[in-house]
Amino acid sequence: MLRLNSVFGGLGLGLMGFYLGMAVAALLRWAFGYPEVWERDLNVSVGYCFGLIGWLMGVGMWGRWGREWFGLKTYPSPTKGWARYFTFNTDHKVIGIQYGVTFLIVFLLAGSLAMLIRAELAVNELQFFSKAQYNSLMSMHGILMVAVAVASVIGALGNYVVPLMIGAEDMAFPRLNALTFWLVPPTAVMLLATPFVGGLETGWTAYPPLSVVTQTGQTFFNLAIITFGLTSILGALNFIVTIIYMRAPGLTWGRLPVFVWAMFVTSWLALLYTQGFAVALLMVTLDRVGGMSFFDAANGGDPLLYQHVFWFYSHPAVYIMVIPGFGIALEVIAHFSRKPFYAYRYAVGAFMGILGLSGIVWAHHMFTSGMPNYLHGPFLMMTEAISIPTGLIFLCALGTIWMGRLWLTTPMLFAIAVIFNFACGGVTGIFLADVPTDIHLHDTYFVVAHFHYTIVGGEIFGLFAGLYYWFPKMTGRMYNERLAKLHFWWMFIGFNITFFVMHWPGIQGMNRRIADYPEAYQPVNLAVSLSAFLLGASFLVFFYNMINSWIRGPIAEANPWHARTLEWQTSSPPPLENFSSPPRVTGNPYDYGLPKPPHATFPQVAPAPAGGGGGGGGGGG
Amino acid sequence: MSRHVISAVLLWVVLTAVGEATVFLDWFPTVGSHEAEDFDEIFLILVAMGTPVFAFVIAVIAYAVLNFRSKGPEETGATFLGVGTGPRVWVGITSALALLVMIYPGMTGLAALSKERTGNGWGEYDAELVVHATGYQWFWQFEYPESGVKVQGAGNELVLPVDTVIRFDVDAADVIHSFWIPAFRLKIDALPGRTTFMTVKPTELGSYNEDAAYRIQCAELCGLDHSGMLFPVKVVSQDEFKEWVNSQTAAAKGQ
Repeated sequence: MLRLNSVFGGLGLGLMGFYLGMAVAALLRWAFGYPEVWERDLNVSVGYCFGLIGWLMGVGMWGRWGREWFGLKTYPSPTKGWARYFTFNTDHKVIGIQYGVTFLIVFLLAGSLAMLIRAELAVNELQFFSKAQYNSLMSMHGILMVAVAVASVIGALGNYVVPLMIGAEDMAFPRLNALTFWLVPPTAVMLLATPFVGGLETGWTAYPPLSVVTQTGQTFFNLAIITFGLTSILGALNFIVTIIYMRAPGLTWGRLPVFVWAMFVTSWLALLYTQGFAVALLMVTLDRVGGMSFFDAANGGDPLLYQHVFWFYSHPAVYIMVIPGFGIALEVIAHFSRKPFYAYRYAVGAFMGILGLSGIVWAHHMFTSGMPNYLHGPFLMMTEAISIPTGLIFLCALGTIWMGRLWLTTPMLFAIAVIFNFACGGVTGIFLADVPTDIHLHDTYFVVAHFHYTIVGGEIFGLFAGLYYWFPKMTGRMYNERLAKLHFWWMFIGFNITFFVMHWPGIQGMNRRIADYPEAYQPVNLAVSLSAFLLGASFLVFFYNMINSWIRGPIAEANPWHARTLEWQTSSPPPLENFSSPPRVTGNPYDYGLPKPPHATFPQVAPAPAGGGGGGGGGGG
Repeated sequence: MSRHVISAVLLWVVLTAVGEATVFLDWFPTVGSHEAEDFDEIFLILVAMGTPVFAFVIAVIAYAVLNFRSKGPEETGATFLGVGTGPRVWVGITSALALLVMIYPGMTGLAALSKERTGNGWGEYDAELVVHATGYQWFWQFEYPESGVKVQGAGNELVLPVDTVIRFDVDAADVIHSFWIPAFRLKIDALPGRTTFMTVKPTELGSYNEDAAYRIQCAELCGLDHSGMLFPVKVVSQDEFKEWVNSQTAAAKGQ
């Protein structure tokens, strides 16, 4: 038997499966007497299902996992060298870096698409692209960035840091963890293939009936997103079990670092709601290839049904994106303010409050959709009520920096910027949650500016805070602080000019997702485009710094930030089993300046009692 | 500590004052209808009440970053933990703000807009003039049911009488579109299979030739030529409107 244990095996078996599946579909159509054996969307969908299984088996799921089901010996995985990043590796640290590098590449790509969008919009009328190309560009930018926002912090930093922070050797289900990562490349391939099969023209929201009648690119999109949803759900399940059962002795819920709390709550959101998106797109796919009519009004369907199911996921999804951003911001602010975390229990309560409320606010995306009027009031009130738990995040952040001794390193600057940006994104959110103002502002550039402030300002700034903060832990090397600060200020200024100005054309009456606009909106769009190019250029500094420092940066200490949490109490990067002797948690993670015991000690004779964390919810901040 | 609190509060007051000055800016496109006046008013109320909240966050961050900095990890800060009354007061204040600053203006504005509880559209259902609008990929078609006048195609414009309560009955033939007139500040989606409506009362004369806000813009992504799916609007006096209707019906009979 061939050793199928890397991306090459995956590509081979994946392609074979793809063609086999298409042939099976054609054969069945022939056997049942259809006049045409080739129906592109249907055959491709079946081919994709076969190809996906082939890819997973070929990339190592068979060798590392599947053989066991038949009583065969599984193959070992390399533990050293760059080759391990291209195999079905179960080490959470390898998977974290796999996610991180993959999604930074996707981020670079989707950011470049944004630059092309702004180039087209700088002047009115069409210059560089046709309308079809523009719609495709805009849709790709949207869905790729949504994927980055959903998976970058959770996949890269969550995977790498959470087991370390809770003193575990690995995630609860390491092979499941590897599976979630290896579902990502098929997703990316399908999305990147859409331009060759007619492109996308429905944005990332894919509203039917348009998404039912549009080209084959839409089917590729649907299959990709259903796969990606599986990644989120399985990953979320893994985090939940890991955080409940794998905590080191003494790490009670009241001593849990706030980033771990954020990941815990985020995982519940992903587990509870992700199937909404997958189901919505499955229904679109069935309308397209199965001749069903979920969304076809002429045959008893309802186009509004999709929007309810879609937003039932996609509103919680913005919290799947932004809660990890909050988690990193609060974590970093606590360590770099050099004082105890302010109102720790309220931060946890804030996450819980958001978890509870986020599932009952989805229809605020639909105030102008033509849904019945009596739904507007309740959804308005629920949405505004989210400001109360979100306000607690501000309480904790501002309370922690107040009277602290702020060590303004790059991670700290990014973390503070999260709070600053999200204040702006939060205030503009009020206008969109209140129906009377939303009726005009809905689907305009005001919305575009608002959600970039919340997601980029709240999460992507948090992602960068986390990347700089944990870079020495992940790579064992130190980044260049001067370049990093240059990146921060460049990005912060470029971001705020671009998106603050972008509110204006929205109020003035410029709608979103348009390749061209009336001449009246010309000057402000030129200004937005120029500052967007400024913002885009800042990432060149980031990528240069990351690559250069990873290769030849100075060797990092185990704990360069003098932080109390567990991930810093082991070497950089940590050994395979994370800690040379199992940690025992003895105190709170944020007790800077207090005469309290350290967060964790490492008894040399490992007693290792059974069970995960300690008792109930003692401790507190 | 009190010195810091007083200084930060002063900074907050100054920032708020600067921010509040923005309510005097010219934020909006042309006010073309009664509904637009309501929108502008609520928008400015939210700006006025949101500014102190935003300014508070900025003031605390700015003051802390400027005054509480340190060069390294050696020094530690104050050790209060944030238990007891501090956070409770905060929860009380933010709850009150949610109720008074966000929910109250929203719900009162909504009450004025959503007169028909079980309908799906904005304003009263009863109107002095009805216009039926249908969205197609990628154009609009209009019909005035009372006079039978139809409007469609390049070179035409949707003519509306001023100071008249007009209801648009909106639907779509193929995919979802959205019927939006920026000068009126209202939009409602055009759905295949159901009819939505919005009722407006234009208060000012105007036309797309002079003002981009006088246009029907499709505001829901509807495919290839979504950006080009706009149609000029012209608001004329009631007499001119009657003349226009007569000339249209005469032209239709002449054919």
